[in-house]
Amino acid sequence: MNTTPHSALRTPSSAFPPPLSRRAWLRSTGGGWATLGLANVLNAGDRQAKGPLFAPRAKRVIHLFMNGGPFQADTFDPKPKINEFAGQRPDAVQLRTENVTGGLMAVPYAFAPRGQSGLEISELLPRLSQHADELCVIRSMHTDNPNHGPALFMMNNGTIAPLRPSMGSWSLYGLGSENENLPGYVVLCPGRPVRFSELWTNGFLPGEHQGTYINHADLSPAKMLPYLKNPTLDPVAQRRQLDLLRQLNDDHLAERGVDRALDARIHSMETAFRMQFAATDAFDISREPEAVREEYGKSPFANGCLLARRLAERGVRFTQVYYGDGQPWDTHRNHDELTRKLCADIDQPIAALLADLKRRGLLDETLVIWGGEFGRTPTSESNDGRDHNHLGFTMWMAGAGVKGGFAYGATDDFGFRAVENKVHVHDLHATILHLLGLDHERLTYRHAGRDYRLTDVFGNVVSELLA
Amino acid sequence: MTRVGTTLAWIGFALIGANGVLFTGALAAEEAAPTTAAVPSVPDAAEIEFFESKIRPLLVKRCFECHSDQGKGIKGGLRLDLRSGLLTGGDSGAAVIPGKPAESLLVDAINYSQDSAQMPPRGKLPQAEIDLLTDWVRRGVPYPENPTVKDSPKKHAGIDFESGRQFWSFQPVHEHPLPAVKQVGWGDRRIDAFVLHKLEAAGLAPNPPADRRMLLRRLSFDLIGLPPTPEEIAAFEADTAADAYDQQVDRLLASPHYGEKWGRFWLDLVRYCDVPEVWAIDKHAQAWLYRDWVVQAWNDDLPFDRFLEMQLAADLVPEARPTDIAALGFLGLSPNYWKELKLDPGVIKAVVAEEWEERIHTLSGAVLGLTVACARCHDHKQDPISQTDYYALAGVLASTKLVPRSILPEADAKVVAGAREQIQAWQKSRDELLAQKPEPSPEAKQQAEELAAKMAELERTTPHYGVPLAYAAEEASLHILPDGTDKTKLEYKPGEAQNVALQIRGNPSNPGPVVPRRFLTVLSSAEQTPFQQGSGRRELARAFVGEAAPLTARVIVNRIWQQHFGQGLVDTPSNFGTTGSPPSHAELLDDLAARFIANGWSLKGLHRELVLSATYRQSSAYDRAKDAIDPDNRLLWRGNRRRLDVEAWRDAMLEITGRLNRHVGGPDQNLDDPQNNRRTLYGTVKRRDLHAMLRLLDFPDPTTHNATRDLTTTPLQQLFVLNSPFMREQSMALVERVRREAPGDVDSQVRHLYRLLFARAPTDRQLEFARSFLATAGTDAALADELWKQYAQALLSSNEFAFVD
Repeated sequence: MNTTPHSALRTPSSAFPPPLSRRAWLRSTGGGWATLGLANVLNAGDRQAKGPLFAPRAKRVIHLFMNGGPFQADTFDPKPKINEFAGQRPDAVQLRTENVTGGLMAVPYAFAPRGQSGLEISELLPRLSQHADELCVIRSMHTDNPNHGPALFMMNNGTIAPLRPSMGSWSLYGLGSENENLPGYVVLCPGRPVRFSELWTNGFLPGEHQGTYINHADLSPAKMLPYLKNPTLDPVAQRRQLDLLRQLNDDHLAERGVDRALDARIHSMETAFRMQFAATDAFDISREPEAVREEYGKSPFANGCLLARRLAERGVRFTQVYYGDGQPWDTHRNHDELTRKLCADIDQPIAALLADLKRRGLLDETLVIWGGEFGRTPTSESNDGRDHNHLGFTMWMAGAGVKGGFAYGATDDFGFRAVENKVHVHDLHATILHLLGLDHERLTYRHAGRDYRLTDVFGNVVSELLA
Repeated sequence: MTRVGTTLAWIGFALIGANGVLFTGALAAEEAAPTTAAVPSVPDAAEIEFFESKIRPLLVKRCFECHSDQGKGIKGGLRLDLRSGLLTGGDSGAAVIPGKPAESLLVDAINYSQDSAQMPPRGKLPQAEIDLLTDWVRRGVPYPENPTVKDSPKKHAGIDFESGRQFWSFQPVHEHPLPAVKQVGWGDRRIDAFVLHKLEAAGLAPNPPADRRMLLRRLSFDLIGLPPTPEEIAAFEADTAADAYDQQVDRLLASPHYGEKWGRFWLDLVRYCDVPEVWAIDKHAQAWLYRDWVVQAWNDDLPFDRFLEMQLAADLVPEARPTDIAALGFLGLSPNYWKELKLDPGVIKAVVAEEWEERIHTLSGAVLGLTVACARCHDHKQDPISQTDYYALAGVLASTKLVPRSILPEADAKVVAGAREQIQAWQKSRDELLAQKPEPSPEAKQQAEELAAKMAELERTTPHYGVPLAYAAEEASLHILPDGTDKTKLEYKPGEAQNVALQIRGNPSNPGPVVPRRFLTVLSSAEQTPFQQGSGRRELARAFVGEAAPLTARVIVNRIWQQHFGQGLVDTPSNFGTTGSPPSHAELLDDLAARFIANGWSLKGLHRELVLSATYRQSSAYDRAKDAIDPDNRLLWRGNRRRLDVEAWRDAMLEITGRLNRHVGGPDQNLDDPQNNRRTLYGTVKRRDLHAMLRLLDFPDPTTHNATRDLTTTPLQQLFVLNSPFMREQSMALVERVRREAPGDVDSQVRHLYRLLFARAPTDRQLEFARSFLATAGTDAALADELWKQYAQALLSSNEFAFVD
């Protein structure tokens, strides 16, 4: 971990700082993100002893969120029996999802073994298939509720009820940030995903762990982060203004002796000044060489992937890239045509992201996660659509600490329900935290009278996935 | 039960996430035990051989991780490492009926039957193993006794409420004799004796009083959330009357802005928002009616007991005014979550159970300072609050419907409702006319126009048509019923109340005994009577300020104290239970609470008591020696320097620049609107999408009960300070004001700025800073103008402006 909690605390040279309660100290330190690594200690000091963390395999996470829910048997979970029984409704698919569905609907895409590993991936994702040996595919995911809201909450917040802290917030709370000049948890979406800020809420965790939502439909960094740029002052003029303010504040503090809250605000003013340049640089993809832009493509999702790489490079702990506004993968109608377009749109950027991370030596320490909030039914809805499916779906991980070219678990013959080596979202969360060096059973926070966890009272680390 | 129903029943349990290990299936066990007692349980040698060679290894490998005391805890209350565990079963009842595999849940579960839990959860067992276990059940579940495996601890004996009542916060309150103090002449309020006594015991002495400029700034922000004007400070500094300070206190308490400041304090506790989570939107409903009611109640010094009663039950209080219906916003603005009626009732029940929990959490946290919601899935682990208590309160909520209601007198309300109905009907006809394909006929267009005219006319001529509805509540019990095979319908029975069944382990699909609606046991007298009148909302409110008066009074007194002194006497203001902090000054809190009740629950009286104390009037000056003894100032040897909250900071800026619109009440307004010069209280608060300025500057999360504002200091806040259009606007306005009011040279303008912002003269050094900052402009008027704005912004951004000494 690269957290440097003490760098934020400037000790006035004239007086040795008085003791201060841990909580007050944390509240008053102005360095912002850099101090967050201590949050874990704070809670421990308050309530319970914590053991050492594991050695982390992943330093950071990039979560590519296919909001709406992609269909597993179109992509990573080949199910020839669907086509064999197309139009029929065998007993095995007499399952209730959100809507009433009809018979099995054929999958018009061919699968083939890819890479050294022979991992089967559909023809919809030719470029991503070239990275088959990096992918750790979980074909036996399942979740609890076939509605978007509850399923989105389960995937992000570990419960179907709204307003519990999100996985990104827990990660940041547990590990702090690697870069005090940038937000530690960034949520990118070229629009607004359904349920919006509830998906990256800090819940009852301290406010600085909230995801920083950035709509990157407009690529100008000043549009992405509120108040990042001063509309009038250039850096020289602003520095001069800040020097004046610094003088006034220093005198004010000197007159009052010792006060960490005053000191913290002075210091964080300076950090803010630097952040303007750090964040402008991080969020400005026009600084990428044209060849790199070409490699990713220039769709909104491609830009999100490229931004995610720039942020990973700069130590942002947790980045989510939502595919798009609303829930684009929610193909209740016209499923095949939409899926073809959606897959074409993600194929190149994700392949580029994996290649790029690898080239830069970042893939070994970055965990990339792909998936939706649930999957879709092998049976048809309204003839040409597919309904939500919480009973079985596919996600994959790649990079830090996971096996590559590996498929785990299985759904039934029709890809409807996870049946073998089932992985619940709680298990996925436990595994992700484990890869980050956190024990999901010990990463707790006391709120409203009890200790909460991302995984509630559930979840097992799926050790079979670990490299 | 349908398959979806059971799967989701399990989820119901999952989302609650009880740490249920200690209370493993207690209720199920009680019911199941008698039926299985007769089954003989001593297996013969062949059966033991079968068990040890075939079954035990399988159980160890497949089941014990979650269903024995050797694993990670006992899931679902079910133990498989004891025969008795199988027979009594877990949350879902007996796991086996010996000899009857077809009737045994265990067999259903391993077969992944659609009507049961599916075990093991990570994947179905191989068929051979399923057959073995089935055979085992058929043979009568032979299971040799193993003395090394200990049975679960007995079902908890229940809560000892009598000893629970002895906890300090549940004790009656009474005035205490004043403790002896050595220093004479410091403070003439009762508070001061209690504080001084503790200070002296620790070898500390209080700080000298704050000077009048600092004191009035502190008092003014504390009582009305706005800074004093330079004139007010000058007048106070010059006032030689003995009661000069008392007069300032009375003046501020009488200000209409007092209710704005303190109403917002209450709104934090009850998670107020202008745009709430509503399932079925009524376009006529407006949240701000509740906000305005709260503000007015504080301004009127509505006794706190009455204040609570109105918010829970204004519709049931005969002498309430029609406008008091708005008080029901406490309940009416509770989140009303999405209920997908296409799904099974089990799912909807789980959603409704979440709503109860949210309301009980807010209500018990805000009023009693107790974490009653912890008792949703099991008895409270620390406090004497039973799961039964929780469902006794849930019954009140299950008998209360959230619904928009008129604040007009009944006759007027009827007329308006009739008109709205008529207009809606006309609107529908009009829409139909205009929807004609391919194009509406000329006659249809003509008719549509006529309808539009009639609608406008009716709206115009109906008195009070524009008065919005309040988010409120009424007496009606909700029933969640199946609709066909797997859908749900909701039925409200108006005027009817209901008791709800306890949900075993918080699982809505696993009901236990039905619990009568009543108040918390530990706060009631030994002879507890269930609520008699309707839902029991009014009786609940009465209980808060009757039987529970000592606790309720302690909690609110401590909260007001916290606002004035920066920390509470109890520094866990919404946890007065056993895991909360004990009070730093127990007798003082008791004494204040007792006199608060005796004084008719008057909040203004309480404020006077606090701010007139010498304790409150101390300077906040740092003192190294004292700080070494009491660094957190728990003993109150000085005033606590505090940063302004976002409302006070923004309001103060608008006040200083002369732009503040002091109009009290009315609809919320977007904070991004440059014309919005109203107090921050009136800025729109969206539950799901908090305004960036509010979010950055530690405005409380409007989705939950907030006991304190945890002020953070982050660089993102300072980006707002450095770069936001709002700050730029205020800087420009401030420069304009200074030029208008103090034409002349730089020095006199800077002096005026300091007077407006800090009510003092700049030091020579500060004047010199200003001169050198502004001097670079030379004769360039445009640059001078720009530098003045930058200078003004620096002063507005300063710590001196953002903090109150």
